Amino acid sequence: MKGKKCIFYIGRKLLSILVSLWLLSFAVFFVARLAPGGPLVSYYGERAERMTAEEREMARERLLLTGSPVKQYVRWMKNALRGDFGISFKYKRSVPEVIAERLGNTLVLGGCGFVLIFGLAVLIGMLCAFFANSRTDRFLCRLGTILSAVPEFWVALVLILIFAVKLRVLPASGAYTIGIESFADRVRHLILPLTVVVSGHLWYYAYMVHNMLLDEMTKDYVLLAKSKGLGINRILFCHCMRNVLPGYLSIMAVSVPHILGGTYIVENVFSYPGIGTLCYESARYQDYNLLMVLAMLTGAVVIVCNLFAQMITDSFL
Amino acid sequence: MRLSECIGMDPAAVWGTDFCVYFYLGDFTERKRGGRKVSESEDARFRVVGIRKAPILQMKPEAAVRHRRIPLFSMAVLGMILFGCLFFGPFLEEKAVYMELGQAFAAPDFRFWFGTDTMGRDIFSMIWYGGRISLVIGFLATLISTGIAVVLGTVSGLAPGWMDAVLMRFTETFLSIPGLLLTVFFQAACGKTTVVSLSFVIGLAGWPAMAKVVRARVRQLKGCEFVIASKCMGGGFFHILRQHLAPNFFSSILFMMVMNIRSAIAAESTLSFMGIGLPLEIISWGSMLSLSGQALLSGAWWMIVIPGGFLAATLLCVTEIADAVRRRGGEMR
Repeated sequence: MKGKKCIFYIGRKLLSILVSLWLLSFAVFFVARLAPGGPLVSYYGERAERMTAEEREMARERLLLTGSPVKQYVRWMKNALRGDFGISFKYKRSVPEVIAERLGNTLVLGGCGFVLIFGLAVLIGMLCAFFANSRTDRFLCRLGTILSAVPEFWVALVLILIFAVKLRVLPASGAYTIGIESFADRVRHLILPLTVVVSGHLWYYAYMVHNMLLDEMTKDYVLLAKSKGLGINRILFCHCMRNVLPGYLSIMAVSVPHILGGTYIVENVFSYPGIGTLCYESARYQDYNLLMVLAMLTGAVVIVCNLFAQMITDSFL
Repeated sequence: MRLSECIGMDPAAVWGTDFCVYFYLGDFTERKRGGRKVSESEDARFRVVGIRKAPILQMKPEAAVRHRRIPLFSMAVLGMILFGCLFFGPFLEEKAVYMELGQAFAAPDFRFWFGTDTMGRDIFSMIWYGGRISLVIGFLATLISTGIAVVLGTVSGLAPGWMDAVLMRFTETFLSIPGLLLTVFFQAACGKTTVVSLSFVIGLAGWPAMAKVVRARVRQLKGCEFVIASKCMGGGFFHILRQHLAPNFFSSILFMMVMNIRSAIAAESTLSFMGIGLPLEIISWGSMLSLSGQALLSGAWWMIVIPGGFLAATLLCVTEIADAVRRRGGEMR
């Protein structure tokens, strides 16, 4: 691919991103508005119950909630295109501000988790492939099955029970102790959530690397390399890994949403102040504006990752 | 290229054959990269270049046996849980919903085998009584998502190009949102939760991956003579689907269906745990775990470990069974 063809390719991909995002915004907007109850409660709290019909109408006007859903959508779209995403009803501040405050925390948790999973999966996968069908391999596979079948939130609960409640060595919730903002404190708060995120996903990818490597080992060039007298280590690390890597990269890119989704749950269990808890709150309290932006943000990350995976596949495989 | 690869099967599927035949199929990679036309005739591109023992038979015998083993242990455990929930559950209702506030937070002893929860309910009875709900949601949600996936996948597979493209884009948009997040959105939109509405919401989030598999299989099958013949004789959409297509793609989605049960049960418990699934008064393993916040504060480990243990055991057994299904039904990758 070069020159004109490449530009055409990228253009088409960009167009498809935009279409997907637009579809997503449309769907989320209307699904969110189907919900009973209303955002007034989340903005005014208890007071919303005692409002007269007139006050209610005025409040709706102020929060830009009047008119038919279609009209509301068009208005939201217009504002969003100008970069105005409205205010969060619950936090009573502009949406980007609320998100920016929490984004860092999620990026730290998700990013560290992703890198750890990415690296450890290759290591464990290679280890298993190296000892294929031996006791080590079987033990690791079994452990993996068990850990990936158990729901994440329960693993998190059990870890909290052991390390925070019984042993009292690690904190059970939050991202830092209020008052102490040191690096060590943050790391201490990260250990448990990170363990859960990694342990829930690691095995699946390790297993994948293991399978891909074993598949590669049956190919003819391995036979050739063997007949030339190369050791199994060298073949596995130098020859097979190179062929497995592009496929692995594209799978990892596709799996970003799963890891992201996992991070969201873990954040909720540990009440870690990140995007995940925010998502949950906004869906629960019908914080429309916040919900829209969060859904679009998640969707954008996912779509871009998928695209990235597709591009890897197109150019390497 | 290996025979198993050119007919699109897992090496494990070519089990009966002793040898793997290697074909030369022209240089596919070259053709794809440079756009160069391959001038060789079909025969020249498709000839046997080698033969050797199938790699699967190079496995040690005991490894091969392990590969085909039926997960008896998992099936027995799952059977016991199912049996207990379905046959003992209903009789334990009275004990499960009875709140003995004076006995709240009782540790496991002879009277309460698994202890009691924050409201003094007997956890042993709740496990069997509530397990029913968790299992029902698992099955119902799977039924719903399979239904949607089969219909949508078939429509998309049989439809003309543009409609197929639209449906697939739609499916991919769905697929791209993390499943649980999707469920949370739907759940927020649904309002009050009942068992049926929750299974519907979970089922609604679980179909895209299966729909893609169904579509791929239908596209392979739709050119087959028996489908065309049935169409010519005036067979309707559902007739063709039921008589001709479904029997052929069923084995491909069986594994996904079993895995779907697993993820539906997990989703129910996660949602209920987070407080947006089933409310406390509808007892299920998930809603029992939603009390774990208070359990952590008071160090009541039995409220977390016991329901969670049952949940984990069930999920593990289902996973093992799904795995066996996948290994048996060779053509799934």
